[in-house]
Amino acid sequence: MKLPRLPRRKVLKAALAFGVLGAAGSVVAVVRSRGYEVPEGVRKKLVGLEAWQYVVVQHLARRVCAADEPGVVTPDETDVAGFVDAYVANMAPRMRRDLGRFFGVIEQLAPAGLGMSSRFTRLDARDQDRVLASLESSSSDLLRGGFEGLKALLFMGYYRDARTWSLIGYDGPRVEARP
Amino acid sequence: MTVVRGRDLRGDVAVDADAVVVGTGAGGSIAMRELARAGLKVVALEEGGYHRASDFDQREEHMLPMLFQDGGGRTTDDLGIRVLGGRGVGGSTVHNTNLCKRTPDAILELWARKYGVEGASVADLEASFASIEKDLSVSEIPTDDVNPNNDALRRGALALGWKGAVLRHNRIGCQKSGFCELGCAYDAKQNALKVVVPQALAAGADLYSDVDVRRLLVERGAAVGVEAIAHDGVGAAKRPVAKLTVRAKVVVLAGSAVGSAALARRSGLPDPYARLGRGLRMHPGGVVAGRFDEAILAHRGIPQSYECTELLSYEEGSDKRVWIVPAFAHPIGTAATLPGFGAAHMRSMRAYAHLAVLTAMVHDETSGEVDVDGDGEPVIRYRMTEPDRVQLAKGLVACARILLAAGAKEVTIPAVPPVRVTSTRELDALDTSFVRPHSVPLSAVHPMGTLAMGKDPRVSVVASTGEHHQVKGLFALDGSLFPTSLGGPPQISIYAFALHLAKHAVASARR
Repeated sequence: MKLPRLPRRKVLKAALAFGVLGAAGSVVAVVRSRGYEVPEGVRKKLVGLEAWQYVVVQHLARRVCAADEPGVVTPDETDVAGFVDAYVANMAPRMRRDLGRFFGVIEQLAPAGLGMSSRFTRLDARDQDRVLASLESSSSDLLRGGFEGLKALLFMGYYRDARTWSLIGYDGPRVEARP
Repeated sequence: MTVVRGRDLRGDVAVDADAVVVGTGAGGSIAMRELARAGLKVVALEEGGYHRASDFDQREEHMLPMLFQDGGGRTTDDLGIRVLGGRGVGGSTVHNTNLCKRTPDAILELWARKYGVEGASVADLEASFASIEKDLSVSEIPTDDVNPNNDALRRGALALGWKGAVLRHNRIGCQKSGFCELGCAYDAKQNALKVVVPQALAAGADLYSDVDVRRLLVERGAAVGVEAIAHDGVGAAKRPVAKLTVRAKVVVLAGSAVGSAALARRSGLPDPYARLGRGLRMHPGGVVAGRFDEAILAHRGIPQSYECTELLSYEEGSDKRVWIVPAFAHPIGTAATLPGFGAAHMRSMRAYAHLAVLTAMVHDETSGEVDVDGDGEPVIRYRMTEPDRVQLAKGLVACARILLAAGAKEVTIPAVPPVRVTSTRELDALDTSFVRPHSVPLSAVHPMGTLAMGKDPRVSVVASTGEHHQVKGLFALDGSLFPTSLGGPPQISIYAFALHLAKHAVASARR
């Protein structure tokens, strides 16, 4: 299957460079911080992510980690978003800033680049997969690299959970065997 | 001997010493030991924590932030290559896979001939290599300890008639758990953390962990100390708790080719010929996975015990510049490397126990650069040249060929979309022009060359003694010294060069 590519629209191309995302990100932030449902108990505990970012991570994890595999422990059950929140809190400031901008790209700009009128978290699963596939095969090295880094973070949140290990034949840490 | 965690400091501290060593990996640990054994007052500063074997719990999500710079997420500025560097007392020797190879003779000869490196011939270095190999209990890995992943490489290479050999390592009492890259929970690694740093402390050196050196102090053309920030030691966020100033007439840079160069650049050292931070080599590598019918369980056992050197020549400009060794990973690392996402990715992960994975590392001639951003943090620029890209492609194809020869039913180059082949015929027909940074996941674990040694200040940063050409009393004793790639694992070379050159730092401190 040939994966879709993001069109090289000037506005998007400019946004692909993280360095220029700051200004756009600031404008978008006003809009994007509204309309995200996060339980108050969760919202109060967030230490690394903003509420809207937490929702984006939840949606990303559901599509990236084991999506649609029946009988498989889900990213929600392993609390991937909670893990990412805690992990991001201890990231170097520069990486944290870049990651935050990348969430903005995924939520707002990447769907728009594919002609979609809704933000990522409001798309159905099929369109979310289209957005992610476009990022993974983007002609922009920065977008592809950013997606790879994000994937690594999500998988860290997922495969840290011992319930996933039996799925892949991994027997986990053996530290208890220490003499 | 004093050991202080930066997080425990309750106020700013100023210390006077004969020498201050920045970094405690292979080079830094030797420098602190040799300076202390010479009777000098030595203070070593380490950005990461001082961990014990009992801290290493074999969990990727815990160990990556603890033992790696930026939690293992450091990359080149274009996100094309992941750059793995150590943090913590012992540096990268804590998470490396214990491979012990001396600097190849041809490399030493090249450095002398082309870069004017003096006093570093094979004969000159023999005593230092022998000494460090004894300290670290270096030995050949027993043939019985070659795990199925390494055996796939061995069988494939033998079937093809390609050169290969069992490697040497520095382990005693290895439990073959397979968790070397997450720190050894069994304390079997005979590394800087376990062997050399304790020797240095026993000789009287002082050590501050969780301390980020921000600036070198230079007055009238001579190093006079460093300024550092002690931090809380939690993750890469490094929240400051106190300021630490060490005044000393000798400063040793040993924070890796990335860290040392970044410190030098943000300190504004004289750089009349624009060499500081330039000349970065990284030994970048990509991986190829082979799926076998039988279980491989590559995550168990000694991770790297066999090498294939069929495509490795140390001659400059050679068209054979690829080192092939197994590359295993635990689930998180594997998941991050496999292409795709969602259900398709899970299907790939379900083959985890049946995968053998090899890496092709390019003995690179690309010259990159370590710079700093506005916050003084490292920025790694590296644009792979076409000859190196061709080497990478050759290497990946060679890995695939080896895996097929070993009996793999399918091999995958994790590009987007993934390239899967099931026969050498398909491999022969493969157009490898797609292979480049960003199209395949690449990692670099051996940065070198950013403070290169040599005779001529126009093409090098430090002299053959390790001392900076323009700043007296400032020494580089880590991988940043090396003018070119080594084409193999650098730890023994770094230890040995630090040992070989430490006498110059001692002499400088005594002046």
